[in-house]
Amino acid sequence: MTNETPPDDRHGAGERTPSDGETETVDADDVPAHWTRARRMPDGGRTEDRGHDTLLGESGDDAELDRGPFERWVANAIKNPERAYRAMFYTATVFFLVTTLFPFYWLLMVALTPEGQQQDIILTPNGFNPSAFIEVFQVLPFHWYVFNSFVIATASTIVVLIIASLAGYAFGRLEFPGKVPMMMLVLVISFFPPAAFFIPLNDLFNTSFFALEPITGDGTLYNTPGAMVLPLSAIFMPLAIFILTTFYSQIPEGLEDAARVEGTTRLGALFRVIIPLSAPGVATAGVLTFIAVYNEFFFSFLMTDGQPENWAPILEGILGYQGQYEVMYHLMAASSIIGVIPVAILVIVAQEKIVSGLTAGALKE
Amino acid sequence: MARVQLENVTKRYEDVTAVDDVNMEIEDGEFVTFVGPSGCGKSTTMETVAGLTRPTEGRVYIGDDDVTNLAPKDRGVAMVFQNIALFPHMDVFENISFGLRLRTYDDEEIQRRVEQAADIVQLEGMLDRMPDEMSGGQRQRVAIARAIVRNPDVFLMDEPLANLDAKLRVHMRTELQRLHRELGTTIIYVTHDQAEAMTMSDRIAVLNAGKLQQIAPPLECYNQPANLFVAGFIGSPSMNFAEGTLDETGLATANFHVEFDPGLVPGASVGDELTLGIRPEDVHLSTDADALAETTAPIDARSDVLEPMGDEIFVYLLLSEGAERSMEEDPASSADQLLMSVTPDTDIAENRSVDVVLDRSNIHLFETASGEALVHGLTDRSEQEPGTTATEADS
Repeated sequence: MTNETPPDDRHGAGERTPSDGETETVDADDVPAHWTRARRMPDGGRTEDRGHDTLLGESGDDAELDRGPFERWVANAIKNPERAYRAMFYTATVFFLVTTLFPFYWLLMVALTPEGQQQDIILTPNGFNPSAFIEVFQVLPFHWYVFNSFVIATASTIVVLIIASLAGYAFGRLEFPGKVPMMMLVLVISFFPPAAFFIPLNDLFNTSFFALEPITGDGTLYNTPGAMVLPLSAIFMPLAIFILTTFYSQIPEGLEDAARVEGTTRLGALFRVIIPLSAPGVATAGVLTFIAVYNEFFFSFLMTDGQPENWAPILEGILGYQGQYEVMYHLMAASSIIGVIPVAILVIVAQEKIVSGLTAGALKE
Repeated sequence: MARVQLENVTKRYEDVTAVDDVNMEIEDGEFVTFVGPSGCGKSTTMETVAGLTRPTEGRVYIGDDDVTNLAPKDRGVAMVFQNIALFPHMDVFENISFGLRLRTYDDEEIQRRVEQAADIVQLEGMLDRMPDEMSGGQRQRVAIARAIVRNPDVFLMDEPLANLDAKLRVHMRTELQRLHRELGTTIIYVTHDQAEAMTMSDRIAVLNAGKLQQIAPPLECYNQPANLFVAGFIGSPSMNFAEGTLDETGLATANFHVEFDPGLVPGASVGDELTLGIRPEDVHLSTDADALAETTAPIDARSDVLEPMGDEIFVYLLLSEGAERSMEEDPASSADQLLMSVTPDTDIAENRSVDVVLDRSNIHLFETASGEALVHGLTDRSEQEPGTTATEADS
């Protein structure tokens, strides 16, 4: 230990005594040498273990990496994930739109192409024949098939909504023994392939019942809407039950109690309070059922003899343009487009209902 | 005619008894409040009157009719719910007229009655609003209008003010009293707020663990509680309790002795375990005790914590040397502590040695084991009867 004092001894000897071999220099500003570096750094940052006086980033470490556009994009996406999400969204949307809308576009092209020129349609029709959309009604009573389908789908939707509402009310709002096993049973039955039911049902619907004679004439359900409404309602019921159970269980208990004290029965409270407040759920279940029944192929194809007066649905109409010697593809395409219109209208209307129901605001408990 | 009578009403769920053998009779036009801690069965009891819950045993009468098995809509009751329960998809007019539209009233009659009801609760000009456009107090008024519009025999109110802020609650309290005076309908009111119960009701029914503890006018519940539960539940802050043993000269508790003739306590004999109850306002500094007719001998105490409330000061007293203020227990129920209420001009400070006396006329004695009240007031002149359900006082 030397007791040597630095040249400028304003700080007092004891305070500024450097130890052996560590002679500190003090610059003109009266700042120790190791502080000056810190002063130059905007962040006052770490100076130790750094051989040079450059800041991170100034050295050009990053710039030396010669990144390609993709790597730059990746680095950017990591820094700013919003961009990546947006890119994914657009990719998915474009993919979805192309795969769903292109077939429609192509269907339109086929419909517009005059008969006999259907080869090699790629993006534009070979000719222009909009009269196909009129011809479909002249060749076959296509409107009749559309009407049949509409009636069958509407009837099935009504049946499903009524029964599923009652089931959903019981499952969603009541406590009773065997509730969970029963819901499981509904779920399990919904997994059965509908085709498994076809043969017994077809047999049943071709059996004559005396009680049905005043209604169907010959006492069988074959060639009546019942032959489709009954099985299709049953098949699409479980989904509706699950949707409605979820919605009904979320309506506060107090509202139902209030309705009951005010003068309704439990059932009255269901229809006057719970269902109106569950409108989005009911609309969803209804639309899904309607579309599923309207689009259904298997039972619709086999439960009638294909004649419009025997409640043959739209599917039979479309297939009706296919003769033994000739297939009128342009009419099939045109009728397919016409057949889609009711469902498209329904979805647009119901979508507004669903959105308005959701934005009406959460219920105050 | 809208007398309500509950006869041996019991409601059992799978493993809990929510309401246990409740008997009561509510007179026509009476305002009765069910009060008790959470889960005491007060709401379930009301639901059996409303018909929303069917009792496991017992009968419910409204007027002269046995309504035990009637649906809620056929009972002539109207209900106001804690969560208000307005139908969110209907405007105010539709909400109020909901019950009328379910019955056979013509449109003009409905219009007239809705306007009248809206008038009573001061909702004029708001009939086309939706519930979510209204404030909490307005919604509550709509709910009340919905209840009164049908002219029910009985109003049931299940904590109707619980979701309102404190200021509005006090306001609605007076509104409800005014309404009761105007309509004269029987009202059953459920609350856990004893201030509501004390201020509004003709009679209070105190329930605990599904059992009816006492049904009496508010001041009787306060001055002559039927048992330890009622004594502790009614009054804020609650009554001080001290357990002790009856001897020839009086009651000896852990920290003090109260002298009286054991013969004053009906149905008790020397050696019995009794609990003394005294309200904070009946504990006095011995220096202030001149005005009182009869007091106990001074009790040594040390003031611990002061709580100045403005109109009074609550003083937590420690009775034994070295006693710690209990953090867990309700201070009033700890044997070593006594809560005293004094006027704000009293000369008192924390951590000072004081002598206190108890006002003998307001000492309550309970049987420790059963909790039943034995006597209210330990003066020789005292002719006060214990609570109605207390043991044979006049034997």
